[in-house]
Amino acid sequence: MSDANRFLMPEAIKRIARLDLRARHVVEGFLSGMHRSPYFGQSVEFLQHREYARGDDIRDVDWKVWAKQDRYYVKQYEEDTNLRCTLLVDVSASMRYGDGHLSKYEYASTLAACLAYLLLRQQDAVGCVSFDETTRMTAPLRTKRNHLDSILKTLDVSRPEHKTDVLGVLRRAAERFPRPGMMVLVSDLLVEREGLMKGLKLLRSRGHDVMVFHVLDDDELDFPFNGPTRFEGLELPEHLACNPRALREGYLAALNEYLSEVRRGCVGQRVDYVLLRTSQPLDAALAAYLSNRLGVRHRSRGGRR
Amino acid sequence: MPSFLYPPLVWGLLLAGLPVLIHLINMMRHRRVRWAAMEFLLVSQKKNRTWVLLKQLLLLLLRAAAIATLVLAVAQPLVRNELGILFGGSRTHHVVLLDDSFSMSDRWAGTSAMDEAKSVVQRIGAMAQERIEPQRFTLLRFSQAGRVGRDTQPDMLEETVDSEFTDLLAAKLHAIAASQSAAGPGEAIHSIDQLLGESDDENRIVYLISDFRARQWDQADDLRNQLAALAAKGVALHLVNCVDRAQPNLALTNLAAASGTRAAGVPLVMEVTVENFGDAPARDVPVILEEDGHARPAVKFESLPPRRAVTERFLVRFPTAGQHQIIARLDSDVVAADNYRFGIVDFPVDVPVLIVDGSLEAQDARFLSAALAPGAPAQTGISPRIETPRYLSLNPLDAYQVIYLANVDRLDESAVEALEQYVKAGGGLAVFLGPRCRATIVNEQLYRDGKGLLPMPLSAPAELLVDRVEKTPDLDVTDHPMFRVFAGQRNTFLSMVNVSRYFAVPDDWRPAPGSTARVIARLRNGAPLAVEQAFGEGRVIAVTTTAAPVWNNWATNNPSFVVAIQEMQAYLARRPAATKTHLVGEPLGLQLPPGKYEPKVRFTTPEDDGLGSPSVDAVPSPDGSLVASLAQTDTSGVYRAQLTATDGTSEVRQYAVNVDPLEGDLAAISGEQLASRLEGVPYDYRQAAAFGDEGPQQAGYNLGTALLYVLVGMLLVEQILAWSCTYHPPNRAKTAGGGAA
Repeated sequence: MSDANRFLMPEAIKRIARLDLRARHVVEGFLSGMHRSPYFGQSVEFLQHREYARGDDIRDVDWKVWAKQDRYYVKQYEEDTNLRCTLLVDVSASMRYGDGHLSKYEYASTLAACLAYLLLRQQDAVGCVSFDETTRMTAPLRTKRNHLDSILKTLDVSRPEHKTDVLGVLRRAAERFPRPGMMVLVSDLLVEREGLMKGLKLLRSRGHDVMVFHVLDDDELDFPFNGPTRFEGLELPEHLACNPRALREGYLAALNEYLSEVRRGCVGQRVDYVLLRTSQPLDAALAAYLSNRLGVRHRSRGGRR
Repeated sequence: MPSFLYPPLVWGLLLAGLPVLIHLINMMRHRRVRWAAMEFLLVSQKKNRTWVLLKQLLLLLLRAAAIATLVLAVAQPLVRNELGILFGGSRTHHVVLLDDSFSMSDRWAGTSAMDEAKSVVQRIGAMAQERIEPQRFTLLRFSQAGRVGRDTQPDMLEETVDSEFTDLLAAKLHAIAASQSAAGPGEAIHSIDQLLGESDDENRIVYLISDFRARQWDQADDLRNQLAALAAKGVALHLVNCVDRAQPNLALTNLAAASGTRAAGVPLVMEVTVENFGDAPARDVPVILEEDGHARPAVKFESLPPRRAVTERFLVRFPTAGQHQIIARLDSDVVAADNYRFGIVDFPVDVPVLIVDGSLEAQDARFLSAALAPGAPAQTGISPRIETPRYLSLNPLDAYQVIYLANVDRLDESAVEALEQYVKAGGGLAVFLGPRCRATIVNEQLYRDGKGLLPMPLSAPAELLVDRVEKTPDLDVTDHPMFRVFAGQRNTFLSMVNVSRYFAVPDDWRPAPGSTARVIARLRNGAPLAVEQAFGEGRVIAVTTTAAPVWNNWATNNPSFVVAIQEMQAYLARRPAATKTHLVGEPLGLQLPPGKYEPKVRFTTPEDDGLGSPSVDAVPSPDGSLVASLAQTDTSGVYRAQLTATDGTSEVRQYAVNVDPLEGDLAAISGEQLASRLEGVPYDYRQAAAFGDEGPQQAGYNLGTALLYVLVGMLLVEQILAWSCTYHPPNRAKTAGGGAA
């Protein structure tokens, strides 16, 4: 792990209280040492001149420079993206779980903020929906940098509560954002499997690229409990007093079965799926996003030509 | 129900409830977790409920059992024989056989073997009292074991051990001291075996507490068989040795009259023997003597080599007839009982002697009579009586100490019979041959082919030719009591004896291999001159020449004749009953002629001096006489029997009862030697000081060690089970790396 990445660890991020600063910290840290985006396009903002090479669009030739210097230079602008990315962040009660470092909710909102910051920096249009059993708050798609504030407001839920109704939320999101774009779902996916799959299918059928960040706590994945414990459901009304050591194997079996089912479903829908532990550095999520976006870019370019 | 070595620790079994308690406490203070992924938890719980419950229950039980096993292992349960376990009523019977022979009075450093033994008995009692299950106790001293004429008298017989038992035992032991008996363990083991019978319903432990002297255990085949028989019956044997090393000890082993005529006023030679049982020589050991309660000069033993007996002689002289006491005493040493020796010497008023002469002149008889009773001032106490052969068949002979036959040609058949009876009963007979004797008649009446009184057959009178060249004495004597007085010096008187004629024996005669006949003096030519043999309880000496100076010149002006006849008289004289040695513990028997005494005999023991002295009724014996027997001869000393004659006069007879001197041999055998003697017999041997150190050793198999092994096994299983029920977090760094990749 590089020195820069040191600051992307959840333990470090936790110390930064404000979400915008967190996002900035994470993204700048992530980007430092990386080359800038190699994609150039039609944009308002001029970036640089470059000598003409065969195959360049003649429209891009800066004729004023040719007139002064009798050389062909092309003008390059920062790309003016047409990517519309909607962040769907789960803020239901189950996201409240977290022991030690970031809770799932905190991790998910930090991740969403980071993505928004990154996208807005790259002139993409970002929208945000926070939801539980219904849509809590919505931020429309905008490209302006100060749009980050409204996105952060959307994410700022004082206390995650209520159950999750993922199908309804996805359906509403599909209606709200009819133009094909990218849908990023950040959730622990402790929901009804059938509804989830239906929702994802709906989004895909509307032409959206869908990416799922599955956020789970270490405890949920490893189940390290010892000693008599009383488990009380965050979303479900059940509770269970037991010796967790005895139930661990069965629990992990059930969990793994669930995870593989979700993964299988996503792959079937051509949905990008990333499982994230809350103890994992956020840059992993960003790297996953970027590689995915590269795929989107290629797809969209291929589509335009 | 097994018993425990440390019964109070059994309360520790309550600790077995600890795991349950811990479980309950844990249930109360469980932590609460608000949990999102309840769905999977519920699935798991539904699937595992039964198996998990079972496993946890098993773990709980295993832990409780492990604690219980640990507690039991520390408390050390003892399991008895299978029968005892089956019936649950197993009881222990402690049989203590206590050696109280006088060697147990061995003292050292403020204690004695007996004190050590009593302390061991007390410890056994205390240990028995601590037990939960019923205990019984039997205590038998060796000296109280059953013997001839006496029943076994245990100090305690199947006494129930209760809370006051140790006090009772202490009181009993306080009264017990080392006896003067020399009883060995054999009688005690035999008695207890007979007294208690089979041990089916109890665990019997026999403790043999003794000093294990080499004397009793060197030839221990019988003891080994007895102990092996006990062990075969399932009896646990504990042998406890009360002495750790042998100490030197001196013992008076003999005090008796030497040969010689006993009569009032006549000096008598006594012999006293001291044996050194130690390994170092002793010097200048005085033996203090008392005659009838009056001190007399002590006899000093200059040197006593180790493990040797030395005999010294001294003279006693009592002016009056009757029984006289002589007591010898050594300075006190580690064992007191063998420092005393008691003797009773019977001095008759005179010693009646019968001389039978065949000739009317009675020449031989007169010479013999003169030699036996030379008259004042040489007092011999002998009163000879000269009679013809007819006297033998007509009068009782029992009163005579010795009968002399001189120059007798022929005897009546009844006379021969009476003579044989007399000698068989212990009388002495001397036969002098002479001119009147006929070889055929003598052989027929007295020799009777070796079955008669005469030790050798006769052939015919023979001449001993005078040898004028060689100056060899005619008499050639052997080392015999009769001639011992002449031994060691060149006795000119004996060499002056000339024998001219004698009765020859057949040339081929030799004493038969089994017979007691032996030639005690020969003539110059090798022909036997004097031959002796034992006949019944008495003795016979035959001389092949005359007593009077007819065939020889011995009696003529030669004092050696008188000396030889006196010695012969002393040698042949009837042994008085009072000189017989009585041992402590053996019954004192008294034979009374029928019709002469009242059957009630009052005995006086050395301790009581007439008060409360036991009275014994004499019972008729098969031969018609009355026999009174005193069984309680537990101490050494002089016992008196008071007899009442039918005419109303009373008579007192005295008997000396002495300890068995061999018991004073304190040589002990070691544990290894004992092990070799008792090979094949399972027993536990230890020193008294070490007895009971390692806690009570009771019958039964101690399960403590076995339980420890079980515990180790249980803990292993518990660990495996607990491991399978526990979560073990994987190496975090590895997982984190994997996740990042």
